[in-house]
Amino acid sequence: MRRARGQALASARRQLMRLVWFLLLAGALYFIYRRPAVIFRGGPPGVPSDARAIPYYASLSLARMTAAYVLSLLFSIVYGYTAWANRPAGRFLLPLLDVLQSVPVLGFFPAAVFFFVGLFHGGRLGLELAAVFLIFTSQAWNITFGVYESLTTIPRDLDEAARAFGVGPGLRFSRLLLPAMVPKLVYNSMLSWAGGWYFLIACEIISLGPVNFSLPGLGSYLINTAQDGRLGLTMLGLAALVALIIALDLLLWRPLGVWASRFKYELTASGPAPTSRVLTMWRKWPVARWTMVAGVAVWSALRRVVRAVLTPPRRGLAAAEKVADRRWPGLLARLGSFAARLVGWFIVAGLGYLVIRSVIALGRLLLQPMPPEARLIPAALAASFLRLSLAYLISLAWTVPAAYFIATNERAYQVLMPVFEVLASVPATALFPVIVFIIAGRAGGMNVAAVLLALTGMQWYLLFNLVSGVRSIPADLEEAARAYGLKGRLYLTRVVLPAIFPSLVTGSITAWGGGWNALIIAEYVVYRGRTFTAFGIGSLLDQATYTSGNLQMIWLSLISMVLLIVTLNRAFWRPLYDLAARRFKIEY
Amino acid sequence: MALLELKDVTKVYAEEGRSITVLDRVSFDVEEERFVCLVGPSGCGKSTLLRMIAGLDQPTSGRILYEGRPVAGVDPHIAVVFQSFALFPWLTVTQNVELGLESRGVDPTTRRRFADKYIDQVGLDGFEEAYPRELSGGMKQRVGIARALAVEPRLLCMDEPFSALDALTAQNLREEVLSLWEDPNLKVSSIIMVTHGIEEAVFMADRIVAFSARPGRVISTVPVDLPRPRNRKDEAFLRLTDQVYSLIV
Repeated sequence: MRRARGQALASARRQLMRLVWFLLLAGALYFIYRRPAVIFRGGPPGVPSDARAIPYYASLSLARMTAAYVLSLLFSIVYGYTAWANRPAGRFLLPLLDVLQSVPVLGFFPAAVFFFVGLFHGGRLGLELAAVFLIFTSQAWNITFGVYESLTTIPRDLDEAARAFGVGPGLRFSRLLLPAMVPKLVYNSMLSWAGGWYFLIACEIISLGPVNFSLPGLGSYLINTAQDGRLGLTMLGLAALVALIIALDLLLWRPLGVWASRFKYELTASGPAPTSRVLTMWRKWPVARWTMVAGVAVWSALRRVVRAVLTPPRRGLAAAEKVADRRWPGLLARLGSFAARLVGWFIVAGLGYLVIRSVIALGRLLLQPMPPEARLIPAALAASFLRLSLAYLISLAWTVPAAYFIATNERAYQVLMPVFEVLASVPATALFPVIVFIIAGRAGGMNVAAVLLALTGMQWYLLFNLVSGVRSIPADLEEAARAYGLKGRLYLTRVVLPAIFPSLVTGSITAWGGGWNALIIAEYVVYRGRTFTAFGIGSLLDQATYTSGNLQMIWLSLISMVLLIVTLNRAFWRPLYDLAARRFKIEY
Repeated sequence: MALLELKDVTKVYAEEGRSITVLDRVSFDVEEERFVCLVGPSGCGKSTLLRMIAGLDQPTSGRILYEGRPVAGVDPHIAVVFQSFALFPWLTVTQNVELGLESRGVDPTTRRRFADKYIDQVGLDGFEEAYPRELSGGMKQRVGIARALAVEPRLLCMDEPFSALDALTAQNLREEVLSLWEDPNLKVSSIIMVTHGIEEAVFMADRIVAFSARPGRVISTVPVDLPRPRNRKDEAFLRLTDQVYSLIV
C-alpha cells in the first residue's frame, strides 16, 4: 500500500520534472524567437536564376550540406554516446531527442533565422548559418538515434571482454564503441544526407513576412525558376542536382557502405565480403593515402581531446589542481578556482533568469484571450493526423514488400538501391510547386498534393530502415530457417517480420517525424503569387507566420502540434520500441 | 547401399578475383547406424562440407548422394544442429522446436505432441514457454537438438554442437546425445558431427574422418572400435587419440 503510494508519488514527480523541462525548453526557444527587431542589411540578395551559374550554385549548396553534415556527425556521436553511457543524463536526453526529432523543425525555422541573423547584425553569414542550422536539424537526430541504437545493441560479451581486458575509456571508444557505430553511422548518414537535400531546397529561400531572401544555391535556383514557371530552367537545375547526387553516391557513399559492412557483428562467416571497385581505387590513389595519413594525425589529436572529455571530471579537476598547486601557492589556486566557480554560477544564474522570464512571457502570451482561429486547432490537428496516417499506410504497403525483395535479392540490391537512393535524394520540395500547379485546381486537389508530399517525406525512411533490417538478419538464423524448410508465409511471419520489427519501429518513428515536417510545407504552397492551402495544423501555422504574424497563434499551433507528437511517441511508439528491444533483439 | 556417399566433393570460393579452394576431392561413405566425426584444423572446410550435406550449399564439383539420390536442396530426412544454436529469439522453446514441423504443414495438435515429447527427451520439461534469452547455453543447445529430433530425421548433422558450452555441460550433453542415439525408438539412423576436439571424436564416433588444412582433403578415415560406454582414461582410448593427433598435426 505504502509502496504503491511511493511509486505513484515518484512517477508524479517524474511527470512534474518532465513538465518543468518542457516548459524550460519552450521558454528558451521563445526567448530566441522573441527578438524580432532585426534589420537586414543591404536588402535581399539577387534572385538566382542564371543557368550558367549552376556549377557555382551547386558548389555553394554542397558546402552548406557538408558543413551541416560534419556538425551532425560530431553532435550525434557526442549526444548518442552521452545518452548511452550516462544513465541519469540519458533519462533526460532520450526523451529530449524524441521531442527534437519529432518537432517539425521547419516550424521553428523563422526562429533560427531571427537568432542567427540577429547574432551577425543582418549579415549574409547569419543567413548562411541559419540555413546550415536547418539542414543540421534535418540530419542530426536520425544519426544520433543510429549511434544510440548501435551502442545499445553491442553484444554484452564484447563490452565485457573489453572491460575484462582493462581497456580504458579512450581505447574502448576507438576499438569497441566507434567500430560498433560504423554500420549504422554510415547507413543513417546516407539517409540524413538525402533528407538534407530535401530541406536545403526549403532553406535557401527564407521568407519572413513579406520579405523573401534567397541564398545563392541550387535550391533557391530551383524554387525561383519553378515559381516563375520557367520549367525548362528548373529541369536543367534538377538534372544538375541528380548528377551531383549520383556522383556523390558513387564516389563517397557506396565505397563507405562497403567499408562499413566489415564492422557488422556476426558469429558465423557468411561467404565472401562485399567489394567495391571505387574503394579499391581510393586505397590505391596516392592522394587518398596522404589524406589517410592526415586523417590519422587529426584523429590522434582528436583522440586526445576525446580522452580529456571522457576522463571523469573530478579526476581532471584533481589533476588541474595538482598543476595549480605546483605553479601557485595554495591560496592563489583556491582563489582562482573560487573565481572560476563564481563565473560559472553567474552564467547559469543569468541564463536561468532569462529563461524563466521567457517562460513567464510565454505564459502571459498564452493566457491572453484566445484568438478566434484557436478554436480550429483541434480540427486542424485531426486533419493533419489523418493525412499523415494515410501517407504512412501507403508507405508501409509498398515499402515492406519492396524492402524484402531488395534486401534478399543481391542483383536487385545492386541495381535498385542506387536508384532509390537517388530518388529519395531528389527533393520533392523542388518539384512541389509544379505538382500543385497541375492538380491544385481540381476539387480536393490540394489534399491529394499534401498527402503526396507527406509521402515523399515519410516513405524513404521506412524503406531504407527496413532494407537494413532484412539485411541484418544473422546468416545462421537464415540457415536454420532454410535447414528446417521454412518457406513462404511461414518464413515471413516466423523469421522476416519479427527480425525486421525493430527497424520497422525505428523507421516508423523517423518517418512520422519527417511527415510532420513535410506537412508544414505541404499544406501551404505559394505558386506564381497564388497561395494554395489544405486545412491542417501546418497551414494554420504557416498562415500565422507568413500572413497574420500572430505570435499567439504561432505558439499555440506549435505547442499543440508538439504535444500531440510527443504524446503519440510516448503512448504508442515508445512501448513498441521497448517491446522490440526486449523480445525482438537478436542476441546470443 | 550407404546412407550417404560423397564422391570427389570440391568447393571453390571466388573472392576478389582470386579463387580459393576450400575442399578438394573429398570422398567417403556414411553407413546406416553410424556415428561419424569430421575432424581437422579450423578453416579446413569441414563445416562447409556439413552445410553441403544438409543441402544449404552446393559443391562446385563432385556429388553428394543421400540414399543413392543426389542431395538437391534441403532434404526432409536430414536435420541440422548449429554451433551458435541459431534459435529464434522471438519464439518460445516450443515454437522453436515446432518450427520444422510447422513448415511441413503438420497440424497444431500433432506438432505440440511431437514438441512436448522431444522437449521431454532432452530434459527441458517445464521450459516450454521460455524464450531462448532466458536459457543457459547448455539448455539452448538442448532446444537446438530437440528441434532437430522433432522432424524425425534419418541423418543428423551437428556442427560443433558442444564447442560453445562449458566443459561439464558439454560432457553431460555428449553422453545424453549418445544415449538418445542408442535408443532403438529414435528415428535417427546416423549422425555426422563436425568437431575440432579429437578426444570428443574418439569418445563419440564409430569412425573418424580426418581432414588436412586448407584446402581440406581426407587424410585418413580411422575406425573406432572401442566398446561403449567409453572411458577417457582407458589406455586404448588414449592410444587412439594420440594416433589421430599425429595424423592431423
